Amino acid sequence: MNDLQKVRTVALRHLSNKLFSTRMAIMLPILILFIPGMAWGFSDPKVMLPGGITPSSATEVMFYTSLGIVFGATMCSVLLSFDGVSKDRASGVLEIKLSQPMARSYQSTALVIGHWFAILIPTWLLWAISFIIVNYRMGDWPSIVDTLTSFISVALILLWYVLFSLIASTHAKEQGTSIAFGVGVWFLFTFLWALVTTMVAFASGVSIGEENNPQWIDLEGILDLFSPNGVFHHLLETRLTDVERGVSPVISWIAALIWSIIPWYWFNSRMKSIQP
Amino acid sequence: MSEVVLELEDAAFRHSISSRSISKPFGKKQGSGIFSINLKIREGQILGLVGPNGAGKTTLMRILAGIFPIQKGKIMIKDSKSNDLSPISEMELRSVVGHMPEQVRWQGKVSVKRTLQDIAEMRGVSYRVDGIIAMVGLSEIKDSPLDQLSQGMRQRLTLASALLGSPKILLLDEPFNGLDPVAIRAFEKLLVELAKKGVSIIISSHRVAGMAHLVDRLALLHRGQLLIEGTLKDIETEFGLDDRIEIQGIGELPDFNKILTSAESILESRKSEEGWSVVIRNQDESLLKKLVSSNVEITTWKTKDTDILEMICSATGQELDEIGFGVIDSTMMPYKNRGEEE
Repeated sequence: MNDLQKVRTVALRHLSNKLFSTRMAIMLPILILFIPGMAWGFSDPKVMLPGGITPSSATEVMFYTSLGIVFGATMCSVLLSFDGVSKDRASGVLEIKLSQPMARSYQSTALVIGHWFAILIPTWLLWAISFIIVNYRMGDWPSIVDTLTSFISVALILLWYVLFSLIASTHAKEQGTSIAFGVGVWFLFTFLWALVTTMVAFASGVSIGEENNPQWIDLEGILDLFSPNGVFHHLLETRLTDVERGVSPVISWIAALIWSIIPWYWFNSRMKSIQP
Repeated sequence: MSEVVLELEDAAFRHSISSRSISKPFGKKQGSGIFSINLKIREGQILGLVGPNGAGKTTLMRILAGIFPIQKGKIMIKDSKSNDLSPISEMELRSVVGHMPEQVRWQGKVSVKRTLQDIAEMRGVSYRVDGIIAMVGLSEIKDSPLDQLSQGMRQRLTLASALLGSPKILLLDEPFNGLDPVAIRAFEKLLVELAKKGVSIIISSHRVAGMAHLVDRLALLHRGQLLIEGTLKDIETEFGLDDRIEIQGIGELPDFNKILTSAESILESRKSEEGWSVVIRNQDESLLKKLVSSNVEITTWKTKDTDILEMICSATGQELDEIGFGVIDSTMMPYKNRGEEE
């Protein structure tokens, strides 16, 4: 068995362990409520969103449904991965795994892929069901490019949160710290980032929250590049014609690449130097 | 003497510990570890690695398991073709070594077999799982979840994980902890069988007496240094701990000075309400006869086992009474010449 086959096999083990875990059984209703539930709500022909907005296309509805990914799926990915390393470390199993003839970089790659796909598979499934719901309610399908963009964006944001949780897990020697770190990062980017944006705007002399003020829109767009949720929405916005926040699609995809590479490299480095 | 399969040459490793200050918030300094270890591991031999808590046994085991990289020195392994010793990478080391860490707390709803398969896949030896499960006596509970395993079963599962890759060298860190006498006996039998097949085994323990009958050689580790390595008999002779008889009896403590010859001496004597006990260095086989003919009432006559504390005291020149929870650093003679940063 060569190294790549080992990575695939070990990743599949992690995937099946997590996918069919009690934790996943608990989280699945949350995901169903947040993803197809939101798709059902936003695709209601009579729906009126704050600001008097009424989604007019399937792509637009799926953009609003992405809130379910931000609030639900990312949280589930944190809850699924927060003890990915720390549990084995605390129990002594990590020592056994580290003494196997499989390079640590391959072990960490298998760990990331296994955990990532464990949350990605149900989320993608529910995301696909949401498309069907929207079509049922509105009679409209997003274009293939819109669909691909949304599926890739969903995959990326889940990857980022899995990586944050796994990095936290390598630093924590007990599970309380790792879950606090994972949930803390989720909380920062999901709720507190608006506060950070507001504070930077205030310090820069930009009027806060004025949606027609180009300065505010540009500043918010740039600051969103420093948040995984912001980049996720930038990626989805590349397919929305009437949204212009001063960040080009190329920049958004570069930011997505950076958000993927740096945490993955960081996690790999941590695994290379980790002590049981 | 059997061939050397693995050799540590001046191997050293020190843990990096945080040393924070205002000027260096992420400062690190060197902590405890092992220093200049020279050790030869021979084919089919069982080596007992003994030492008190914090001696560096687990660190040395982790180096041998390829988990910690050595910072100085070399690890060399016998080349199967040329039979010469050549340096080995950590990855190669991991492929020839089976490592059983101390007290692994297996937990979860996953079955025993599935857990072993997870580890076997990292070695690419999934086909060996059923055989290993049978070898360590876990066949009946192979489908049980880990949460239901007793401590002894967990130890067996850890041993099974170490045996998965048919290792040439087996590292066992405190393997008898938590095992009942029956399991210990079976465990020892298995180790002897493996050694006969040519597997070199290193057992770490803080007790000598528990494994004196099992090991071919002993290595005494203390504060990261290898104090001595050899057969138990050699070590006892070296430290003057050989030929000791422990005698217990009832009644008044006999006047041994009248009974013992000049070649014999009393090392310890104790008197209690129940009777007395003495430890005598004895090379004369007629001592028992002399005691009986002197009407001394003897209840116990046995060879005195050597323990680690006695070895350490002999190696460092300390008195047993001076030792509390720790051993005094200033008397550690190998330290005086090392000159390394503390």
